Amino acid sequence: MVLRSLASRLAVWVLSGATVVFVASGFLLFRMVGHRLLEQTHRESEALASQGSSLIQERMDKVTNTARVLAAIIGPRPGDAESLIRDAMAENADLAGLAAAFVPNTPAVKSAGQSPFVSRQYDGSLERRDLLKDPLPYWEAPWFKKGVACDRGCWQAPFLSQSRHRQLVSYSSVMQVDGKVIGVVNADVTLDWLQSVLLSMDVPAGTHVFVVDWEGMYLANDTPGLVGKKADSPLLGTLRANVTSDGWSSLHLQDQQGDVWVYSQPIRGTDWNLALVVPNELIYAQVQRAFLSVLVTGAFTLLLLALLTMMIIRRLLTPLGMLAEGAELVARGALDFALPKVHRSDEIGRLTRAFDKMRQELAAHLVELTRIAREQQRLSSELEIAQQIQTDLLPGPHYLDARCQNFELFAALKPARIVGGDLYSYFMLPGQRFCVIIGDVADKGIPAALFMARTITLAKAMSTRAQSPQHLLQLLNRELCKNNENCMFVTLLCGFLDAVSGNMAMASAGHDPPVRWGQNVPPQWLPLASGPALGLDEDALYPIHRVRMRPGDTLLMYTDGVTEATDAALIPYGGERIIARIGQYHEGGDGDPVKFLVDDIEHYSAEHGQSDDIALVALRWNHVGLEEGASMLELVFPAALHEVFDTLGRCEETLRVASVPHDLRTDVRLVLEELMVNMVQHGRSQEREDTIGLRLTVVEEAILVELNHDGEPFDPLQSGSPSLTGDIADKEEIGGLGIHLVRAMASELIYTYDEYGNHLQLRFACSYLPEHDHGL
Amino acid sequence: MAFKLHIDALSPHKSTLHLEGRLDALTFGEFDREADKVLQQMESGSTLVLDLSLLEYISSAGLRSIAKARKLMRARDGQTLLLNPQVQVRKVFDIVKAVPIKEIFQSMHELDTYLDQIQRKMLGEDME
Repeated sequence: MVLRSLASRLAVWVLSGATVVFVASGFLLFRMVGHRLLEQTHRESEALASQGSSLIQERMDKVTNTARVLAAIIGPRPGDAESLIRDAMAENADLAGLAAAFVPNTPAVKSAGQSPFVSRQYDGSLERRDLLKDPLPYWEAPWFKKGVACDRGCWQAPFLSQSRHRQLVSYSSVMQVDGKVIGVVNADVTLDWLQSVLLSMDVPAGTHVFVVDWEGMYLANDTPGLVGKKADSPLLGTLRANVTSDGWSSLHLQDQQGDVWVYSQPIRGTDWNLALVVPNELIYAQVQRAFLSVLVTGAFTLLLLALLTMMIIRRLLTPLGMLAEGAELVARGALDFALPKVHRSDEIGRLTRAFDKMRQELAAHLVELTRIAREQQRLSSELEIAQQIQTDLLPGPHYLDARCQNFELFAALKPARIVGGDLYSYFMLPGQRFCVIIGDVADKGIPAALFMARTITLAKAMSTRAQSPQHLLQLLNRELCKNNENCMFVTLLCGFLDAVSGNMAMASAGHDPPVRWGQNVPPQWLPLASGPALGLDEDALYPIHRVRMRPGDTLLMYTDGVTEATDAALIPYGGERIIARIGQYHEGGDGDPVKFLVDDIEHYSAEHGQSDDIALVALRWNHVGLEEGASMLELVFPAALHEVFDTLGRCEETLRVASVPHDLRTDVRLVLEELMVNMVQHGRSQEREDTIGLRLTVVEEAILVELNHDGEPFDPLQSGSPSLTGDIADKEEIGGLGIHLVRAMASELIYTYDEYGNHLQLRFACSYLPEHDHGL
Repeated sequence: MAFKLHIDALSPHKSTLHLEGRLDALTFGEFDREADKVLQQMESGSTLVLDLSLLEYISSAGLRSIAKARKLMRARDGQTLLLNPQVQVRKVFDIVKAVPIKEIFQSMHELDTYLDQIQRKMLGEDME
């Protein structure tokens, strides 16, 4: 846990880096210093060795000089030998003994009478002895023979004096008279003396110094026990090798710890060597100690540095830790916390301030998001309600003429989004007329849905005022053009079906033409001349198209969402496919054609998805006939007065047969007479023989009359009411009474004019007709 | 049933026309012709009684004929009284407010009473 923090990691890295640098530089320094140290030791030790060698040589020279001078003096005067020796002994304290040994049987020994030998006692007194009187003849001793043989004087091998109990070494110098050897002067020095000379040298502790002769015998050694003993052969070999080399070399000794350096210097005038042994350890001991202390100090310093680093970094990074905790809180979604105030201006200070700002803005953003989400939720629930309302605006998907099942209607509407701009509607109008509407608002979504709602509501409200589909479109158009700033528009197809006869009047406002098929008639388009879409041109006119539905005929109306539905390859469904599919359906049976098509379109556009609203309405004319008890009269006759009255008679007869009460019959007769006489007298066409068409239907509770006259346009509703004074005789010109009567007597009067002429639809309420069973 | 006109008690002072059947655009001409003969011989201040008890039907054309007759009588300071109109005719008269209510009588008796009153009134005026 501790090691995972940034501070401890940094501390560890700083510590390890510093350690590596420290150790590496220490090692390098150690190597360099060690090398220098070794060189210095070599120089110093060499100097010491040669200094020691000179010291011993100097003292030895005194001895050899004394011996040589004595030999030179004693030669011509052998008789003074004893006194000379004694004087020399007294003068030179270094000497342990002096002897003048003459070759026996020579004139010199005879003149001297003795071979004197003076030796120094322990107490310092001198003792004289005659060597001739020794039990063993000295001239046969090896030292004498060797002394006689070396004419320039030489050092003898050390020996143990029996008489003096000392180890001695002697120098022999030959006495000559006239080129003839007469004897030898022998000067002795003790090895103890040599030892004291050696020890007088100032030698560093741990360093060994000794003198060794050519045979390898220690003549002097700072380890006194070794004096007189033989040196080790490896040491001896090294010493011998030194003579040929620089005078020093490395040697590994068994009894020593580690390697040693051996420095040797020959002592001139002898075959001895002075040697200095310096152990490697000694050379490096000091530097090793120094380095050890440095190492320990360094280690402590590093540890301290690491702790300090850690503390400083921890201190520096404390806000970072808080930031990390804050970030974890943010990650968990908790934004309601406060960061401590930071007054630093470094990166951490900036980071903290930025983080705090980010937290605040994130919190604000979240609040905003929550608000938007709530808004979205509210909107979507509102949209759902809107969808429900829009659905409620539409009548059911199936309608069967309740009265006599003359026709059947199937419908479907599928918005591409939740709400859409397609619409359909149908409702009964007065006079046994059935109005069916299908439309498509440009655009999709909510604006289209609102416009659709407006259109469908207006259409329903105005349908009672409209006498024909084209009139309805005209009224709707005028209404929709008002305050239409957004230039929204709707294409609409409107049909008024005469529920009794199957005659249908249709008008189109820029809508796709319907498809019609019959029992033995293949599906084909019904070409309709169309006016502009509703909502664009206030003065637009809409042509009417009349269709007579034959029994078994079906009329299919659809919106462009059907033809523009696309499959995965973006190929539109198209009108030809509708015709083809209807053909297949037609062969198959007589189910719901709308459901058949909707399923097919859904399957077709399954991969690409629905992109536009879809509406379909199919109207099937069964022509079951008039309902029970209904009667009907349909006549077309030339517009002439007697024809009119013939017709009136036939109408009356029809009504009488249909048990219409007498007074209502008379009312109908009066209205029809007034209207038709008007047509004959005022509306005659100038160009052709005009005709009047009359259709009279008696249905439950009403008498419906349609009058069509292909004469001059004349709207009886437009004529003003006559001024009624209470006496018709008051007026100069008596007119307008007939129309006034008509308006007073007919329950409903609808006038339209189109290219076929005047159309009047009349309705007479007759609540007193024999009641049919309503199931009440 | 067509239209029939029966003229009764033809005199310059008071004549009664009995209308029967339908008075409409087809028959008003016949009425006009017959009524004209009667109207021609009526003197000033005379009374024309139209008995409508057998008139089944009247249309605007018939109304116009009656109006013409009333106009003519009014020009001669005479009066036109209607007797016993049937339901349909009465309804039409009501709709177009064809004649003042006081000039329509439900029965011959009512009419005679009215005429007597007028006569007495006129006599009274003469005596004064």
